[in-house]
Amino acid sequence: MTADPFHVASDALSEFSGRVTDLARPFVTFLPVSGASISTFGAFLGPETVSATDDRAGRIDELQFDLGEGPCWDALSTRLPVLEPNVADTAEWPAFTRAIREEDVGAIFAFPLALGPLEIGAVDLYSDRPLTLTLQQQRQTLALSEIVSRILLRHAIADADTSHASTFSRRLVHQATGMVLAQLDTTPEDAYLIIQARAFSESRSMREIAEDIIERRITFSALPNEGTP
Amino acid sequence: MNETTRIERLFDAFATLADTLVVGYDVVDLLQTLVDYCHELLAIDSAGILLANTNGALEVVASTSEANQLVEIMQLDADAGPCLESFRTRVVVSVPDIDVGSERWPAFTRTAREQGIQSVYAIPLRLRETTIGTLNLMRNEIGELNGHDVRAAQALADVATIGILQERNVRDAIAIRDQLQSALSSRVIIEQAKGVVAETGGVSMDAAFARIRSHARSRQTPLSVVARQLVSGELRL
Repeated sequence: MTADPFHVASDALSEFSGRVTDLARPFVTFLPVSGASISTFGAFLGPETVSATDDRAGRIDELQFDLGEGPCWDALSTRLPVLEPNVADTAEWPAFTRAIREEDVGAIFAFPLALGPLEIGAVDLYSDRPLTLTLQQQRQTLALSEIVSRILLRHAIADADTSHASTFSRRLVHQATGMVLAQLDTTPEDAYLIIQARAFSESRSMREIAEDIIERRITFSALPNEGTP
Repeated sequence: MNETTRIERLFDAFATLADTLVVGYDVVDLLQTLVDYCHELLAIDSAGILLANTNGALEVVASTSEANQLVEIMQLDADAGPCLESFRTRVVVSVPDIDVGSERWPAFTRTAREQGIQSVYAIPLRLRETTIGTLNLMRNEIGELNGHDVRAAQALADVATIGILQERNVRDAIAIRDQLQSALSSRVIIEQAKGVVAETGGVSMDAAFARIRSHARSRQTPLSVVARQLVSGELRL
């Protein structure tokens, strides 16, 4: 019996302890795409290509940053996959499609990387020939993107010393965790991560953020832009 | 409260504590019941219980008010204060005026005074050679706790301690430590559950805690189980 490639990829990411530069590889192991890249951008983390399986994937990312348009931008702002099975036919992103004409890209896809209210970045996938992703492949890619979101977030805040604190301030953080998990309908682990990320991005302690949450000076909603589908 | 009523309520307290000790009881719930009775029956303004965690450090597990100031005072007390001293020396530590000898524990004294606390009485939760934590009684006036209250508090503390230790062989120190640690860990989930109820019900942390406790009571379900259901979304209050 051969192992399901998706589960192999998913397990590899779930037990991920290596370098973030390896994060793109699992996507090409279970999808029939030619390359993948992962980048951070948006309101929370600075624009950076974190991982790319090949040079072309890296250039596709870079072009979108340079031009300020492209599927990865749309994926993050709508929080939905952007699917372009045949790049030659598309009328979207005129500057970007003109720029990648030389790159021999048949199809391009972008999946959002986000956690609750936090924008993290996007996964870009390309194929050298036109290609349609099945619904199941899309679902699986979204599932892996979620795991990647958490890894990137943990990685970003790992160096920042936001978690040391006394038992007492832990208590406030636990209460705030409960409020955030109710606000976002998520798990305690994700709610905690979101508080930690907020503390990190504002260079404040988790206790201060927790107090703001408890006093209802900070509330989280799942989507930052209203009217987003 | 007149003396007869007080004695009757004291009997109730012992009966309730004994009831709480039936199989499947929740340590956090038991200790919360204990501080609530102390608050009701003794001439004190606030009370709290701290248990030793697996590292031997004291952590607040129950208090008469969920107000963060009170919890913070007790946690400072656990780092350096009468309650730590009582835990270490395994005897009652009475501080009838916190300003006297305040240089021994400056952070605790300063914060306690800011909150109007003037005297403290710390009782070790102890059975023979085993000390599991302390009961702390605090008053907003200077003076010793009266003799009746001292005896009542000691008796209530003993019943709770025996209750916690009875299930285990007292010599099985590891089992006891694990049980106490699990009570302290369940406090994490209880705090999260308070947050959930505070958010969904639009109420304060204190009110959220009261709601969770009364639900646990009425369903005869351990507090930690109700908390877990709230956090996982199985239950809404």
